Amino acid sequence: MEADPENSFPEIETSFRQIVCLSFLLNAQNADGGWGFHPKSESRAEPTCWALQALRETSAASTEAVARGVRYLRATQLGDGSWPSTPEERTGCWVTALCCWTLQGTPDSAAAVMAGLGWVRDDWPQDSTPWRRFLAKFSTRSQVQPINNSYRGWGWTPGTSSWVEPTSFALIALEAPSDVVPPEAKRRRELGEAMLYDRMCSGGGWNCGNPRVYGVPGVPLVIPTVWALIALRHYGTKPENIMSLDWLDSQIVNIQSAGSLALAKICMEMCGGRWPADAPVLADLYERNGFLESIQVAAWTYLALSARSRWLARTPEKTA
Amino acid sequence: MCQHTLIPSFQRPPSKVVIRRVANYEQDLSALIHESLAAFNLPVKGKTILLKPNLVGLDPLGVMNTHPAVIAATRESFLRSGAAQVLIGDGPALDRDTEAIVESVRLREYIGTLASVFIDLNVDDVARVTLKTHASRLNELYLPKTALGVDFLVSMPKLKTHHWAGVTLSLKNMFGIVPGSCYGWPKNVLHWAGIDRAILDINAACRPDFAIVDGIVGMEGNGPIQGTPKASGVLVFGNDPVAVDATCCRVMGLEPERVKYLSRAGSLLGHLQVNKIQQLGESVASVETNFTVLPEFETISH
Repeated sequence: MEADPENSFPEIETSFRQIVCLSFLLNAQNADGGWGFHPKSESRAEPTCWALQALRETSAASTEAVARGVRYLRATQLGDGSWPSTPEERTGCWVTALCCWTLQGTPDSAAAVMAGLGWVRDDWPQDSTPWRRFLAKFSTRSQVQPINNSYRGWGWTPGTSSWVEPTSFALIALEAPSDVVPPEAKRRRELGEAMLYDRMCSGGGWNCGNPRVYGVPGVPLVIPTVWALIALRHYGTKPENIMSLDWLDSQIVNIQSAGSLALAKICMEMCGGRWPADAPVLADLYERNGFLESIQVAAWTYLALSARSRWLARTPEKTA
Repeated sequence: MCQHTLIPSFQRPPSKVVIRRVANYEQDLSALIHESLAAFNLPVKGKTILLKPNLVGLDPLGVMNTHPAVIAATRESFLRSGAAQVLIGDGPALDRDTEAIVESVRLREYIGTLASVFIDLNVDDVARVTLKTHASRLNELYLPKTALGVDFLVSMPKLKTHHWAGVTLSLKNMFGIVPGSCYGWPKNVLHWAGIDRAILDINAACRPDFAIVDGIVGMEGNGPIQGTPKASGVLVFGNDPVAVDATCCRVMGLEPERVKYLSRAGSLLGHLQVNKIQQLGESVASVETNFTVLPEFETISH
């Protein structure tokens, strides 16, 4: 009989995951099937995605909740294939990539994912158009923020600049099986990966996307570093990945929030890093502020304390 | 409640600003702030108040964010004045881990448990707000319902220079109400719309009722994050964010009329001219401390 990977966690972590995180997530689901950023807040695509990603790792008890959440996501997709950050909004944004990632593999979602990824493929950042790149040659700002705009990632909202987190989410979403990935996505992935490496901070790690401003090195942050490393995890032997994983490793003992700690744990496990013995404990950080009642932090914590057998399990093809 | 009705400056009564000298954060700030607020006779009894500090990033040394001692003392003072509820809320612009930021500034040590007091405005419920000023190309913004719905909104910035806007004070601090969950980290759509113009649009849509500027230790040079700490030894209070920011500029040795967004705010949102500002407490001259600015902003220096 095969061992249940969920049973490999210490009992205290298992009970915290089940009693605190799982109950919190299940109780916070809204009548429309979605989740808000907090219990009793309005349903939005982003927290719904995180809750679904966590609940998909649970036992059958969450099946109905997951099905209702998936229906909410599909119902809030816009006609052009994108998802807005809030249902009232009629313009899609970065959250489209997260929705596509979340819906991948769920029954009857292939068409929604294909439409979403088509939108992602066509969502070019505005800062790096050929005209903008020409203008940038005459701008003093290019000396202030020396980045290579021929590498093109994704922005938070259409018509703006490339940033680390939305680019990472788009790259993860585009790891989808080839039958739902639109043509020409490969070239976009290559440009996006190059953009991430270009925006890495000098000692490893990433912040929102400013490795240097006015000659001063930017300071990396945990969450953008986690998402960039996960998006680039197939290049784990590159010096940039190793240096960034080392930077993340050096930060873990000083992390002061459950959200960053949970994501750092997931990232270290996915990228082959070691988890320090003196790392803070997620349950202890929960005691401080109760996650500030954040659905996404509860979901990340659940994921960090589970085997994630359904989470980014597939190894995508490496790009050149 | 945020003032949704736009009143041009020429129709506004004179504004009141109080400057208080404060040597350090260990001083009895509660008594000083309570006494300063009493000068304004603010209508806060039974009201819900939102304090909007400037929390921009991880700050273990306490140099870039509004100091928690000032936030806590202000909260205590409003509660003593009969406020029903005093919330604290911000939406940091560069890092979505708001809990890590408030922990790094030790806010919990000063306030106690944050769960029912602190609102992460980046992930609050939002409402669509049509922008009436059209200073920028933005026609509308989604803004947090907490900021739009409270009875009394207090902008509590740090006294800092800013590498894109010249200075960041109570008007620029309102960038923090724009939710990252809609616009990202950073809120890049505001940069594309033009920072100076977006500041005007946001403040016209949700004008703070009051401002308290933490200038006990400010920041000069490459602010708002990577500048140099500058001990200025002041707290500045006022019932008009434009008048407060103009006064702060003068305290910093800068010309408010030459700060692009402040100059325009002087006709739209409040008073810029000295003769429209009733100045109480310390005089500007007695506390003036010259702040260095980046070369691009040398024109705003005296």
